[in-house]
Formats: sequence, C-alpha cells, structure tokens
Amino acid sequence: MTKEFAVPPVVFPSGGNPGAASGNIQQRRVATAPFQPSTSSLSFIPFDIGPAVGSSSSSAGIYGGGPIGGGPAPGNVNFEDEEPLLDELGIHPDQIWKKTKSVLNPFRVNPAVHKDSDLSGPILLYMALCLFQLLAGKIQFGVILGWIVVSSIFLYVVFNMLAGRNGNLDLHTCTSVVGYCMLPVVILAAVSLFVPQVGAVRFAVAAVFVLWATRVCTGLMVSLADGGDEHRGLISYAALLIYTLFSLLVIF
Amino acid sequence: MYNNVGAQPGVPRPPAISQPNPFGDTFYGAGSGLIRGGLGAYGEKILGSSSEYVQSNISRYFSDPQYYFQVNDQYVRNKLKVVLFPFLHRGHWTRITEPVGGRLSYKPPIYDINAPDLYIPFMAFGTYVVLAGFSLGLQGKFSPEALNWLFIKGLLGWFLQVSLLKLTLLSLGSGEAPLLDIVAYGGYCFTGLCVAILGRILFGYSYYFLMPWTCLCMGIFLVKTMKRVLFAEVRSYDSSRHHYLLLFIALAQFPLFTWLGITSVNWFI
Repeated sequence: MTKEFAVPPVVFPSGGNPGAASGNIQQRRVATAPFQPSTSSLSFIPFDIGPAVGSSSSSAGIYGGGPIGGGPAPGNVNFEDEEPLLDELGIHPDQIWKKTKSVLNPFRVNPAVHKDSDLSGPILLYMALCLFQLLAGKIQFGVILGWIVVSSIFLYVVFNMLAGRNGNLDLHTCTSVVGYCMLPVVILAAVSLFVPQVGAVRFAVAAVFVLWATRVCTGLMVSLADGGDEHRGLISYAALLIYTLFSLLVIF
Repeated sequence: MYNNVGAQPGVPRPPAISQPNPFGDTFYGAGSGLIRGGLGAYGEKILGSSSEYVQSNISRYFSDPQYYFQVNDQYVRNKLKVVLFPFLHRGHWTRITEPVGGRLSYKPPIYDINAPDLYIPFMAFGTYVVLAGFSLGLQGKFSPEALNWLFIKGLLGWFLQVSLLKLTLLSLGSGEAPLLDIVAYGGYCFTGLCVAILGRILFGYSYYFLMPWTCLCMGIFLVKTMKRVLFAEVRSYDSSRHHYLLLFIALAQFPLFTWLGITSVNWFI
C-alpha cells in the first residue's frame, strides 16, 4: 500500500536504481581514504562552499548529484562521505583501552603506547571516578576536575624546572599521563565502597593504590620526556603528593 | 589505522605538540625564558612601555627561578638534615661565590649546601596541605572546601614569614637580597611543621614535644642564615640592633608555627 509523500524521493547520482545504490554503499566503505585530501582545507569552511574544494573523482560524482533527501542546501557534504563520529572527535577507543591496560601493570612501564597523548581517556577515567564517588554519596564533579587541572600544571612546572635546559615535557602530555594514572585511584574508589569506614584497613588499601599510581606515573613521565632521569626520586615525590591528595577525597 | 585520520586538522583536536605556545616556551630551558617570554610580553601590554624596562625591573625582583631548582637527591637529603637539625651542621653557613662573566654570583644548590632552593619549600608546602587534610579527616571534618581553606592558610603563613624576613632586612637598611631567596628561606618552615603534624597523627601527645622542638630548630636555622645574609648585604654594622632583630625572628617562629599547626577550618580555634 503506497502513501503519497510530499518529500521528493531520494535521487542517487548514478541513476537511482538498486545497482547504483550498491555502488554507493561501496563508496561509503572507503569514504575515509579518498576523502582525506579534501578535508585538509575544510577546517572552518561552512558546508556551502564544499563543492568548490577539489575532491577526488568518486566524490565529484556525488557532488554533481542533487541534494540527498531534500537536505539543507545543494552540494553540501554527504552523509556517506563523513568520517565516523569517533574518528572525527579524535577519540580512539582501542587506543584508550591499550593505554588503560598498560597502566594496570605497575612493574613494567610501557611508554610506547603513551607516546601520542590524548585527553579522552583521562576524561573517561574522571567520569568513572566521579561516578564511584557519587555512589559513595559525595558529589565532587567540579572538585576532582579542578584538582586534576591544578595538579597537572603543578607536575608540569616541577618537571620542567627540575629538568632545566633539556626539559621538554608539554602540558598536554603531562595531563594525559596524570589522567591515565588515575586508574588506580578509580579502582580504589570502587574498592572503598566495600571496605569498612573505620579501621586501618582503609588506609592500608589506599596506600597500596597510591604507591601503584605513583610508580606508573613516574615511570611514564621519565620515559616520555627528556631530562627527568636523574631526578626520578624528586619527581616521584611530587606525583606521590598528587595521588595522596586524590586518595584523601576517596578515603574520607 | 588511526594514523590517517589523525592527520586531519579539520577535526577538533587539542593543539599538536610541535606548536609553539608562550607558556610552553617559557618553561623550556632556563628561567630567563620565563621572564623574556611570559612576563615580558604581558609587561609590554600592561605598561605600554618598552619591554626592556619591564624586563630589567622584573629581573631585579625575580631572579632567575631556574637557579633554585638545580637540585638533586643528595642535596635534598643533606638540606633537610640542615633544616631539621641545624645545630648538627658542622661546616660554615656562607654561600660559595664564583665569578661568572665578571660578576660574583652564588653557586647553584647542587654544589653548595647553603644555597637556598625552591624545590624543598614547594614540596614541604604540598606535604603540609596533604598532612593537614589527613589530620582533619581523622577528626571527621574533611571536605574539599576545608582543604582549599588549609591551602590558603598555608599561603598566608608563608607570606607572613616572608614579610617578616623582608621587613627585618629593610629595617636594617638593605633590601637587596633577591625576593626568591627570601621566599625560599620562608618556605623551609614547612618542613618542621610537617614533621610536627606527622607526629601528631601518629602519636597524639608527641605533638607537644615536636612542635617547640621544630620551632627552635627553625629559629636557629633562620638566625644563622639571616646573619650571613645581613653580613653580606648591610653596609653599616650595628651589632646590638642586628642581634635584637635576629632574636625577634627566632621568637616569632613560635606563634607562627602554632597558628599553622592548628589544622581546622576556623581562624584560630
């Protein structure tokens, strides 16, 4: 039973028959690779000017066609040509997972995985920490975020001042490392939901996790940036202060 | 796999590592980068005059901060011993000078145990905040706002200590010691304070012994240090005034430490 629609039917560029539709699906799968040269100049250009940019042959045909489904303006970026959302945002889940897994082992530091610093993993860990704190009855979203920012600036200043002339840590890498090494604190927050509120067990458990976080943080900082080797102990004390501060939030 | 996608700058990503940014450059290399890059630029905007003028003024008040961070493990250990047990320090208290570029300048802390540094004061301040927060938590009164309050209180105590030393110097007619030196000397008080608070956490009553002890040690340390500083800076040597002021510095440690040692969210209680 057909209905009358006011919207004109979708017009596929190669003629609108199922054969051309499957051709489009083929193009969609490889949309990322041929699309690369054109987006390099697309950074802040509004979508109207899209077709003015030189594009590869497969995209040219698509631009030549009409709007898709009565879209906003003729000749803008097609849905098939857009990158996957996560890639466009710069969030790479498998990379986040790899980095998080590398923090799990306190005895072997793996700096190769952390060479490309990103902030999306730390944001996920921050949300997880806030969630566990929420389960404990403490609403501390702003506090934890502020403390992460301040402590990464603190560690950045201390590291670069100690390393002197050959220090080349930058703030992005510093924040990324501090954020990923919050994983033990997140686990502490989860565990402390079940540990009794009074008693020395709480402090002992917290001490273990804080030392774990400090060890991983120091190992990563020293291997990711130059100039930190001879100041390992000094940098690890600064990291110890930072993670003790966060564990105070969790314990009390 | 993500290498291709990572090359696209159209994606909203945080700036790449290779991009120069003013705050990144200021902390690379020597601290003069901080003055030239960061403060010089802002000074020009604010004052509207040439950056040379601002730069020279700022250099006069803020000597190169990187000098104070040239430390290593061994220096930190020995300096802690000197600060906490100053009466055990067998050597002299004067700083070693070396001729650098025609002027006499002091050797950096790695080579000279008597040189002030800023690493220990900053770490001691951080430890004070953490330990005070811990002792607040043991009393059941911990909250993030309380920790902020302790931070501000510690900063105020540091400021009071620095102003005490600076006023002493000024009243003797010389204010020429670099500001960061005075800040460093003022910050050493937090080491003794941390020891006292740690003692209070571990054994409740040991605080009443440790606190006067660390006050005394800090007083001795400051007296010995300021004596050398005053000898180096002041032109006219007026013995009795010197000694009264040094005694005053040592005695003023007691109320300061007592106030800083009260870890609570109120001013005095």
